[in-house]
Amino acid sequence: MDHREEIRKYLQEMLLQKGDKQLFSDDTSLLLSGRLASVDAVDIVVFLEEKFAVDFSELGFDPALIDSVDAIDSLVQTVKK
Amino acid sequence: MSTQIATTSDAFPSRIPSWLANFRIIPRIETYPFVTSLAQKFAGKLLILALFALGLRFGTPDWIPLSFCLAMITFVPVRRRILVTVATLIFTFVVPWHNYLYPVYTFSLTIFVIMLGAVCFWLSVELRNSVAGRHPVFFLLTGYSLFIVFAAYFPNNTPAYVTVWALAYTFGTYVWFIAYSLLDGRAADRDNFSLQLGAYRPFWGSTHTPIVKGASYLRRIEARDGEQLAVIQLKGLKLLAWSLLISVFSKYFEQFVHGSLAIPTFPVAFVHSVQHRPDAWYMCWASLITAFLEEVFYIAVWGHRIVACCRMAGFNALRNTYRPLSARTIAEFWNRFYFYFKELLADMFFYPVFLNYFKKNKKLRIAIATFAAAGFGNAFYHFIRDLHFISELGLWRAFTAFHVYLFYCTVLAGGIVISQLRKRRPPPAGFFRGHVVPVFCVVLFYCLLHVFDYTDRTYPIREHFRFVAHLVNLGY
Repeated sequence: MDHREEIRKYLQEMLLQKGDKQLFSDDTSLLLSGRLASVDAVDIVVFLEEKFAVDFSELGFDPALIDSVDAIDSLVQTVKK
Repeated sequence: MSTQIATTSDAFPSRIPSWLANFRIIPRIETYPFVTSLAQKFAGKLLILALFALGLRFGTPDWIPLSFCLAMITFVPVRRRILVTVATLIFTFVVPWHNYLYPVYTFSLTIFVIMLGAVCFWLSVELRNSVAGRHPVFFLLTGYSLFIVFAAYFPNNTPAYVTVWALAYTFGTYVWFIAYSLLDGRAADRDNFSLQLGAYRPFWGSTHTPIVKGASYLRRIEARDGEQLAVIQLKGLKLLAWSLLISVFSKYFEQFVHGSLAIPTFPVAFVHSVQHRPDAWYMCWASLITAFLEEVFYIAVWGHRIVACCRMAGFNALRNTYRPLSARTIAEFWNRFYFYFKELLADMFFYPVFLNYFKKNKKLRIAIATFAAAGFGNAFYHFIRDLHFISELGLWRAFTAFHVYLFYCTVLAGGIVISQLRKRRPPPAGFFRGHVVPVFCVVLFYCLLHVFDYTDRTYPIREHFRFVAHLVNLGY
């Protein structure tokens, strides 16, 4: 499973757990639109730290960095480089 | 790639009938193509602005300048951000001119504080790789705290005493706004100071808490085209209507419970308890529950109005209060009740701790970061907000009188930690077990906690526990 697919699956499960059944695409805003809350952002941060070794203490936290599948994928690509 | 993902699952079927789930007191006009199309035309914009101004007339005495500023921003969307700054300056220096006894003196202090904010922002950008640049908010809050200590011990028989405290008060009203701009100073796409200034006590209104955060958030939620603007403005109009509806309901609710039912207000019931002549236990409960509901209505009314104005200015801001009485966990209620205060604590206290400490233990990490935000940050925010206690009582007595609120913050943080750490599960089957029971437990927690939230720092904590004892019909 590639990064993007893994991220998408994770967010999908997270939305399901919240009972959110709306459609979402890779560029759909999830945090800034309020579909995911800051409690969920914490889980996403931990997921990215564990799965992709993203270090937010270096990057600084900005919700826009993890707002959508596209944003997270772009973040992961940047960190890998 | 942009793949549509359906999150529909039979594992979590809806437990609310569809007709009820889709029912809206105010129709979702922003989804009607005819309405959004009209809202993009000149006549439609005028109509929306006129309706909005009419609504504001019942909500704020400054409805005329506010409507004027919104009209200016609506018709020149390409200059939206700088016009927000202009409108904010009008609402900082022109609109409140007659509210002050010494406007020139007051505004001189405000200008001084804004200039200090500009210097801090410039330093945070220029020195972003230094220790202070990496932790600008920590240095800002430490500096302000030291200034409060200085003011508290400043000789009160000197002419400069009043100015020192006036400066402390003025800086206090801006400190969290400056903090947000310092956080933005580290961003690669940061706004310059002229745009940051638009988020310093913006013209749509704020408390000491920046409602809708700072410039960074504004540029991310700004309408990108005419269609988005139309939808956002229609949502703003709806939210203002909500604010007015809740306001009217709240007024009649208060008349009914305190007039017709003769339920005492919470401060009155509390004083009766302090005077050892408490009301009946069921009246204490009634008083507490109505106080809790009135607080929810109150915060929804002004929060909706402020966010509605922000939306009319073209920013798709989230509501400050969003269905708090449907929250099924303590953490969810905290998120839904006063969203921008929670965001402030998360941005300034939670994330700095969470991202830097105890990384190997997720649960400990969440617990410590939550205590840093909902416990320490919450207490710190209120201690430095209510400066009159320090100027009147002195620093030490103000701190000791703060012990009830410290207890409140500790219990609140503990409740949120437990709520966050409990494994998330889909709600139990059935409307009663899945919704009614959890909501009841959450409301009960916050109602009981409200006993310790109500504090003018007059009574010791034993008086608050005495009231709790009356709730279960125990007198002591």
